[in-house]
Amino acid sequence: MALEIVVMVKQVPDSQEVVIDPVTMNLNRSLTRNVTNKADENALEAALQLRDEVGGHVTVVSMGPPQAESTMIECLARGADRAILVSDRFFGGADTYPTGLTVASAISKLEKVDVIFAGEESSDSSTGHVGPGVAEFLGMEQATYVSSVKYADGFIIAERELEDGTEVIKMPTPVLLTILLNANVPRRQTLKRKIAATKQGYEVWNLEKLGMPPEWVGVRGSPTIVRKMRPIKEKERAAKRFEIDQIPDLVRELFEIGALKLEEMQ
Amino acid sequence: MTGLKNAKAVENTDDYRNVFVFLEVREGKFLRSALEMIGVGRDIARKVNEKLVCLILGNNISKLADEAVEYGADLVLGAESPDLEEFRTLPYTSIVSDWVLKEKPNIFLIPASRNGRDLASRIAVKCQAGVTADCTELDIEHDTRILSANRPTYGESMLAEILCRKHRPQMATARPGIFKVPEKSRSENPEIRISKVKVDKSLKTKEIIEFRKKEKVDLSAAKIIVSGGLGLGKAEGFKALEKLAKTIGGEVGASRPAADLGWISRDHQVGQTGQTVRPRLYIAAGISGKIQHIMGMKNSENILAINIDPNAEIVTYSDYVIVGDVKDVIPRLQKEIDSYRKEHSGKKESKIASAS
Repeated sequence: MALEIVVMVKQVPDSQEVVIDPVTMNLNRSLTRNVTNKADENALEAALQLRDEVGGHVTVVSMGPPQAESTMIECLARGADRAILVSDRFFGGADTYPTGLTVASAISKLEKVDVIFAGEESSDSSTGHVGPGVAEFLGMEQATYVSSVKYADGFIIAERELEDGTEVIKMPTPVLLTILLNANVPRRQTLKRKIAATKQGYEVWNLEKLGMPPEWVGVRGSPTIVRKMRPIKEKERAAKRFEIDQIPDLVRELFEIGALKLEEMQ
Repeated sequence: MTGLKNAKAVENTDDYRNVFVFLEVREGKFLRSALEMIGVGRDIARKVNEKLVCLILGNNISKLADEAVEYGADLVLGAESPDLEEFRTLPYTSIVSDWVLKEKPNIFLIPASRNGRDLASRIAVKCQAGVTADCTELDIEHDTRILSANRPTYGESMLAEILCRKHRPQMATARPGIFKVPEKSRSENPEIRISKVKVDKSLKTKEIIEFRKKEKVDLSAAKIIVSGGLGLGKAEGFKALEKLAKTIGGEVGASRPAADLGWISRDHQVGQTGQTVRPRLYIAAGISGKIQHIMGMKNSENILAINIDPNAEIVTYSDYVIVGDVKDVIPRLQKEIDSYRKEHSGKKESKIASAS
């Protein structure tokens, strides 16, 4: 059975990225500040491996501003079959709730979905909430923090990494899986495939296409707001300096302040 | 299934009262985070004279309910079933959401553990509410009963204060290891409501075939941690740290790069992607002090850095600094601690001898 697979990706701020100018088809070597979220690259790779093994299609869905184009092209160049950028000025300023709603709404427009992949979390906001949110909107089973995925007889078998061990779980499709950062090694995009991907292009879906009221999405649809930001104040510490020959003094001080205790020694 | 619904502001926030906390249970016991949730939830509830409501799901939970009451639960809502013995997203979401919709809490706190995050976002969507992830500071505004949910952002350099003004409950996940385990403090009129539930077949789609338990060093409870980083030079460098840790009654920790290189197993890793610790003494040996590591240990009571570079980032976070090569410093530290002990425990023994 061929699988229809969706991968949720996000473009996040980072250091550098090589972009192909869609008009000139030349490498644009100027530095841009945006890259694909690393864990999403692992999610895409897991999706591509599953497709290559079982057959089917991989569709990438991202919500973001127009400059997320580079991420869309990159995903195609890595091997995705189709890429949809859900983009509209109304989507700006969304917290996790309307982000999940918007992405879920786009996915619900696809003809069929068997497996949805997402990264465990984005590097810029680190909530890990959008994936499970999408699963809830779509009424799907989910497995988060997954390190490996297999498919057999209509079931997904996944390994899920918890703080105290590994769960091996079995679930029927449809299911949403969030993939751990560094769970695999993403395949490379060659220049040739990048050019082909740029030619192939991606779709842009706006709010009208999703058919949702504008007050449901973006900043207006967000239950939470950021009231203020402040620098994290660290406890002032003395950084009292000792040379190697002064270690006896330090050891005495550590015992005197109770940082080291004779009765705890073994 | 929620369907494609928007987040819904409630008509009257005064209808929403009390503080819910989700207590995570593993193998029939509370995780440490459960007690942390009780601690922070209790502080918030008592500030505004509301009830602390503890949610417990599992198989045999009556003892756990009693324990929650000892720590200050005013009300325990419990659900019991063999199907709830392990955490599974769908039944847990269903039961907890039903409680939320029926009891209308003002605030709902869940640990930002892996299962906690798995659950929190689904409940928020099901209840059409807002959730702030991974908070490190939580407080309540007395008059408005609005939750001040604070979370680190921008590479942990800034703290964002996030509010949820019109949606209820105000949900937050709280980073494990940050909030203190409280002293026991029994509430005056505690109530326990545990019901046996039958989990619907449609919610039992996830089968847990196997659980491979990791032999984990629980650094979050350690009083002393001796951590090593790239400055050790090679895997063997950890041997000296292990010896030192053993002598002083501590555990061994590591920076991420050291774990990445396989010098020590991942379960010793301290930091943003490892464990968050707050021991009485943290020794950072050959750790430069990248922010990801600092995040996991900066709340330690005393910090000793051992580094060849007197300007390493770790230094500004340290109470004590030994400047030198870890390879030279650790054996010397070991020697001086051994001789301090010999000298002082010798005195103690002689005192006892003379007293008898």
